[in-house]
Amino acid sequence: MGFLTILKKLRQKEKEMRILMLGLDNAGKTTILKRFNGEPIDTISPTLGFNIKTLEHKGFKLNIWDVGGQKSLRSYWKNYFESTDGVVWVVDSADWRRLGDCAKELHTLLREERLAGATLLVFANKSDLPGALTVEEIKEALDLDNIKSHHWRIVPSSAVTGENLLDGVDWMLDDIASRIFTLD
Amino acid sequence: MSLVGKKCESISLHETNRSGAMCDITPEEVLKLENITESYLCSPEANVYDIDFTRFKIRDLETGTILFEIAKPPTDFGVENDGTDDGSEEPLDPNAGRFVRVEFTVGSRPVNHFRMIEKHFFRDTLLKTFDFEFGFCIPFSRNTCEHIYEFPTLPPDLVEEMIAAPFETCSDSFYFVDNRLVMHNKADYAYNGGINN
Repeated sequence: MGFLTILKKLRQKEKEMRILMLGLDNAGKTTILKRFNGEPIDTISPTLGFNIKTLEHKGFKLNIWDVGGQKSLRSYWKNYFESTDGVVWVVDSADWRRLGDCAKELHTLLREERLAGATLLVFANKSDLPGALTVEEIKEALDLDNIKSHHWRIVPSSAVTGENLLDGVDWMLDDIASRIFTLD
Repeated sequence: MSLVGKKCESISLHETNRSGAMCDITPEEVLKLENITESYLCSPEANVYDIDFTRFKIRDLETGTILFEIAKPPTDFGVENDGTDDGSEEPLDPNAGRFVRVEFTVGSRPVNHFRMIEKHFFRDTLLKTFDFEFGFCIPFSRNTCEHIYEFPTLPPDLVEEMIAAPFETCSDSFYFVDNRLVMHNKADYAYNGGINN
């Protein structure tokens, strides 16, 4: 039995996944996390550090790390890459001015070696806002079709209405599970 | 069975054991402890990272209702320790799942491999060990962490004993940075019979 097999078996036993939520500030990462966890979302202030939640979903124990997205904090993101199974990249669909920034940060992230195996879920968040760009437009702006290094999917979402949050996360969990919890 | 009191004592409130000589206890040694410790295993000065716990909250897993919350007033040095909660009428059933949320700030130095090991005892019986690695903390950051927290199902006679002996259910919380003990907090708990029992 090889090391990888043992590793996979260990993880299978624990059924534990580490999910990292990133994106520019004010994209809605913390709101999504709270919404997902059934907490009130009326008073959310900028994250000046991290919010960790452990929750159980579909029989998995999820450790979700939401790290602040302000420019001064982005250089610290790398400290949270280790052992990450899935990256949730949150985009403010109505913030077209910063889409260029957003694309740049995302592609820098994807070049990171320690995230090489991770599944990528993009939430085109705030899709319910008037003036929000469509998923197609966001996909193009972020140049997602050129991502060959990661399994990815983009989903329009709204942390306020809850639209697609579960669908997106469920897809990501299935993708991760098929990768790390099955023995080949 | 419900929680009717929790006493939190911060090491900051104590003048004893300031030598700091015992701070070399390792996480592995702490995990092996079979009893509540008699004294604090590190001095307040060991917290060179200015890690400061500012809020503690327990929510019901099913309803999201806040069962217990204490916040540290910014001017007050030390966690509220008069053993009362915020007046919540909801009973705390140790056998029911709940969310435990902590909020903490760190000072000017980056914190690496921040790890918490918490051990709950009733007298000499270990009820639960909780071991979590926060990892890295950004300088001057404010961070939160919320866990699903469940005791193993406790036998009814043990529950009765715990109710009959308030504040003999105790916890030791050990905080390590880079495998070095930087904080040690203690809390005592009192329970009574909950409405569901």
